[in-house]
Amino acid sequence: MAQIDIKNVCKRYPNGFEALKGVSVEIAAGSFTVILGPSGAGKSTLLRTINGLETPTGGTIQISGQVVTQDTLREVRSQVGMVFQHFNLVDRLSVMTNVLTGRLSHRSWLGSLLYLFRREDIDLAHDALIRVGLTDKAWNRADKLSGGQQQRVGIARALAQQPRVILADEPVASLDPVTSEEIMGLLREICTRDGITVVVNLHQVELAKRFADRVIGLNDGLVVYDGPASGLDRATLSKIYNRNGDQVDEQLETMLAYA
Amino acid sequence: MSSSKLCWPTPNGLPALMPTAVLAVSILLLVISASSVELNLVRLFNAIPRMFDFASNLFVTPDWEYLPTLGANMLQTMEMTFLATSIALVISLPLGVMAAKNASPHPAIFHATRNLLTMMRALPELVWALVFVSAVGLGPLPGIMALSFVTIGFMGKFFAESIEVVDPRQVEGVVAHGASWLQLRTFAHFPQAFPDFVGTVMYILDHNLRAAAILGLVGAGGIGYDLVMAMRMFDYGRLLPIAISIYVVVTLLDRASDKFRRRLI
Repeated sequence: MAQIDIKNVCKRYPNGFEALKGVSVEIAAGSFTVILGPSGAGKSTLLRTINGLETPTGGTIQISGQVVTQDTLREVRSQVGMVFQHFNLVDRLSVMTNVLTGRLSHRSWLGSLLYLFRREDIDLAHDALIRVGLTDKAWNRADKLSGGQQQRVGIARALAQQPRVILADEPVASLDPVTSEEIMGLLREICTRDGITVVVNLHQVELAKRFADRVIGLNDGLVVYDGPASGLDRATLSKIYNRNGDQVDEQLETMLAYA
Repeated sequence: MSSSKLCWPTPNGLPALMPTAVLAVSILLLVISASSVELNLVRLFNAIPRMFDFASNLFVTPDWEYLPTLGANMLQTMEMTFLATSIALVISLPLGVMAAKNASPHPAIFHATRNLLTMMRALPELVWALVFVSAVGLGPLPGIMALSFVTIGFMGKFFAESIEVVDPRQVEGVVAHGASWLQLRTFAHFPQAFPDFVGTVMYILDHNLRAAAILGLVGAGGIGYDLVMAMRMFDYGRLLPIAISIYVVVTLLDRASDKFRRRLI
């Protein structure tokens, strides 16, 4: 059974913009999938519909056989971790507390009103911090960390909830190349070692080629490529990054030079 | 010297229409209201000698025997302030959440809470104190009730506004991991709004101390009764220490809150 089953999903925003025009994708458990596409192609929207941060205007999404609806949101989200471009940590809370927010779906309302956690939760958070190599920063405030470190905290938060799926929405778009490399390596390692299904939105073709099992090319709200990373040749990239029929060959040269 | 023409950063270089219009209307309103409340410079000028006359009355030896009573009444005023502010704080927190657009459980509750808060602060403390004095009798209790009442109106609104400006990205980071409604308020909204909350409480403490100092006017406890009596009886020997003690307490509170706030942020 597919871990994530996206069936004919459409999304039209109130302002009339159609971000997704019927996308159907099945993502296998334990796979590493990268979604490529130009800005505005609907990459973020697609990823955000998977854990219900956006509600699709058509089609259905199932995670491990469970349909994502308004009523199942909390349950779905307890199995799906998310990593963001801007990290989305709560600045004023400590690194540890931020990682512990990944455990909130398993905590009672009274306990969390008093910021109380179980010993097991703390241990899980601590393990997650070991995985991302940030144990020494556990009691620092989240906003005192560098971008790369904050993204590691973001990954630790996702890990702490012991998810089946991790969604990463352009996790390296605000980071330098070396840090990007580390973060992508970390996500790849989590996928391989823990068997967590990872879906990543990316802008860098070169990173997609190196880390992905499978690449989904999105353009103008439609899937235009779906296959292995090795199939990303010139013609394919041209199809993915094609904008209103304009030729993008010149930019492609640059992109291929990096790839 | 350069002789380049000066212009505003607008497409045609002329002042922007909206701000200019607002400024013009404001000035017009000022002129109209100044004449309707008889703000008269000549009268103000003629009053200067009388002001000096009043001020010279303040150069008296304080009424030493009154000081212990002053201390007791001042203490009562401070107790009223802290009690009323604390009561209001506990009630304002949930009301503030309900009155914040991005944290309210339902639009209907949002509007209802907003209206309730507006109603509570529509009338000044003194008027509410009159209401409560006639309800529960003289003393500090009606004072505390009146003070809490108005404070909830203000604090709830300030809290709501602090919650409304939190960064939605940080909230999203928590909601994406399956946090419940209440957990979202405690772990995403509250930490972000916290420094603003502290600032609000400190400001309101300051304001409430001054408000509590005049509640005695209507028999609702505190230093206010003595202040008004001294004023009416031209008892400058008491008036001066009362005024000074209010000034000292407000200043101390202000300094303390500055230190406290800086430590927290």
